[in-house]
Amino acid sequence: MSTDPTKPEILVIEDEVQIRRLLRLTLEEAGYAMREAETGRAGLDEVLRHMPDAVILDLGLPDQPGIEVLKQLREWNPVPVLILSVFGQEGSKIAGLDAGADDYLTKPFGGGELLARLRALLRRIKPAVATSSFRFGRVEVDFAHRRVKKDGHALKLTSMEYALLQLFITHRDKVLTHRQILRDLWGAKAEGQTHYLRTYVLRLRRKLEDDLDAPKFFQTESGIGYRFVCEADEG
Amino acid sequence: MAETPAFHGGGSAVEPSSSAARLRKIIPGREYWRGLRPSVAREYAEVFGLIGAVTWLGWFLPVSYHVFGHLYLLIVIALSVRVGRWPVFVAAVVSGVAWNYVFIPPRLSFSVLDIDDALLLGTFFVVALIGGQLTARLRAGAGRARQLEQRATALYYLTQALAAAKTVDEGAVSSLGQADDLFNARTALLLAPTEGRLVPHPASSLLLGDEELAVAETVRRSGRPAGRFTDVLPTGPVLHLPLRRGSEVVGVFSVNLGYELEQLSSAQRDLLDGFAAQIALLVERESLRAAGEREKILAESDRLHRTLLDSVSHELKTPLAVLRTAAEKLDTDDARKRASLVGEVRTATSRLDHLVANLLNQTRLESGTLRPQPDWCDARDLVASARRAVGEALARHALRLELPADLPLLRCDAALMEHVLANLLLNAAHHTPPGGAIRVHAGTDAVHGRIFLAVSDDGPGLAPELHATLFQKFSRGPRARAGGLGLGLSIVRGFMLAQGGDVAASRSVEGGACFTVRLPLADPGLVPSDEH
Repeated sequence: MSTDPTKPEILVIEDEVQIRRLLRLTLEEAGYAMREAETGRAGLDEVLRHMPDAVILDLGLPDQPGIEVLKQLREWNPVPVLILSVFGQEGSKIAGLDAGADDYLTKPFGGGELLARLRALLRRIKPAVATSSFRFGRVEVDFAHRRVKKDGHALKLTSMEYALLQLFITHRDKVLTHRQILRDLWGAKAEGQTHYLRTYVLRLRRKLEDDLDAPKFFQTESGIGYRFVCEADEG
Repeated sequence: MAETPAFHGGGSAVEPSSSAARLRKIIPGREYWRGLRPSVAREYAEVFGLIGAVTWLGWFLPVSYHVFGHLYLLIVIALSVRVGRWPVFVAAVVSGVAWNYVFIPPRLSFSVLDIDDALLLGTFFVVALIGGQLTARLRAGAGRARQLEQRATALYYLTQALAAAKTVDEGAVSSLGQADDLFNARTALLLAPTEGRLVPHPASSLLLGDEELAVAETVRRSGRPAGRFTDVLPTGPVLHLPLRRGSEVVGVFSVNLGYELEQLSSAQRDLLDGFAAQIALLVERESLRAAGEREKILAESDRLHRTLLDSVSHELKTPLAVLRTAAEKLDTDDARKRASLVGEVRTATSRLDHLVANLLNQTRLESGTLRPQPDWCDARDLVASARRAVGEALARHALRLELPADLPLLRCDAALMEHVLANLLLNAAHHTPPGGAIRVHAGTDAVHGRIFLAVSDDGPGLAPELHATLFQKFSRGPRARAGGLGLGLSIVRGFMLAQGGDVAASRSVEGGACFTVRLPLADPGLVPSDEH
């Protein structure tokens, strides 16, 4: 098929034809071009030949485990990868994320969810716009002066809280595994210390969220990590 | 015949092992096995005693020596019906010698007999021969009858003991004990599994070496007796008899007859065969019983499968029907109708999603593949994810969260705990009328070292008769509004137990149902501080 060079190109590696059709419907309607591959082998060939902007990879492929495809891909290509897994495979999701996937979706998923994930993935590789401030909800973060305000009032954040907030904003709308955050903030030997994270996320929520019982921004991905969700205003 | 009070009221009333022990003392067939041999020495003693006594008495009797001739004849006749062939012949000889030596004049010396005396002496031997022959024949007949009777009795008691035995083990203990006593030998029972080598039963008193086991194996393969007193491998002391069940050999009965026994009479052989047949019957009964048990288990699991299939297909069909209808109607131009159809589709898909999740969870629980990954979790996070997972099902209920600010972290598997809470929330939503209130509260119980989360509602509460089966799978409340498989609470319980916790049901303060899940209180340790 001919592809419009201005449209971002998404490669879908998935063996279920019905899912591919629905993905095509969703993606093309949203302004993406879509390529498809039924097997891991064919998928890797496609990446090599067409250099897609993002890859949607099903973890259950007929020829080889999706995780193997991902590992082979990651040996030479940094293309953003969204993995699709089925219910009850928290372990494989984490393994996929650790193996270099950028995000995951659990089947069955909605089209809105899928597009939000893709947008976040594609944004990451956009040339970094030097932003000096970031606004979400009633909160405004001033990176230049390391200041955080809510409703115009300055908030006191500790250095670790600030670092965590910064990490979330950098990877907004994208899942961050416990391991990734812990390694980034406390170093590799803190990888198993999930309770550090629970404590600090709770502190951030207390200071920044409106409703502690239904956090809007700092969302927990059960058993996997966190996702900072926002309708961002970059200034 | 030996009386056995042990079996009066039917063997089953008596504990088999004790009856076996009692039987050992009264083995009715024992004599029979060892042969009918009234002591020969006793017979000779009788012969010499009687003749000696008559001779000694006659010494003092002042009568003609002819009288003594007849007296001795009388003795030989009398003895011929009492003692065996040889003793009576000896009696004839001794009588002749005594008569001649003691009584025929001159006394106390041998004399040449006249024709009359010689004829009388001759009759001694004729009588002895004829009488002995007759007696032997009579005796053999009587012996056979007794043998038959005793054999029947021995087998009768064996049958009794085996009938009383509930298992092969019980039967083997009592029957092998009897066999040891009856045959006066060590015996072994070897059972033949469908595959592999013969297995000696632990109640066997005879330990078979490799060689004898090899012989037993040939018996099992050929279905024919082997070992001592047979044509097959007769060199060893052990006789191996096949336990046949139809054309199949279910085991081997081995008797160590030793080398003292010179030959096996056909009666003895019959007894052994009878014994083997009885034990084979027991083994057959046992395998039939095992087959029956298997059948029962299969029927039970079959029933479960049917229940599962029935309810699963019902539960699947409802949302599928909704989806199909909605898909057909989506063609409409009426925007409002379309929006409502989309809503229906959403509800149906989330219902399907939940159903499949529960089925998978139940399968994971039952297959034993569930490996909880405990981690530190914030109760708020768990409740929030559970709410997200339940979605619209809670839309028509008022949910109140009462989670204390200082609630410690939970040590649990976040994904499992999320399913637990989602199931409890859904359960509450199902059993309370729309508009009802659902409350989630949490706290710690320092005394028992536990942290708990509770989901309560203001619905009709739990029917008391439901308490026993509440957490069993496929158990559904009689007042459950919507469908459901009745797996929710069973999964809650399974997941909580897998995480070292538990779940309890009670009456809520509001009068409805309250489900409390509890986990051990754990201390995560210090979090590095960066506050100055």
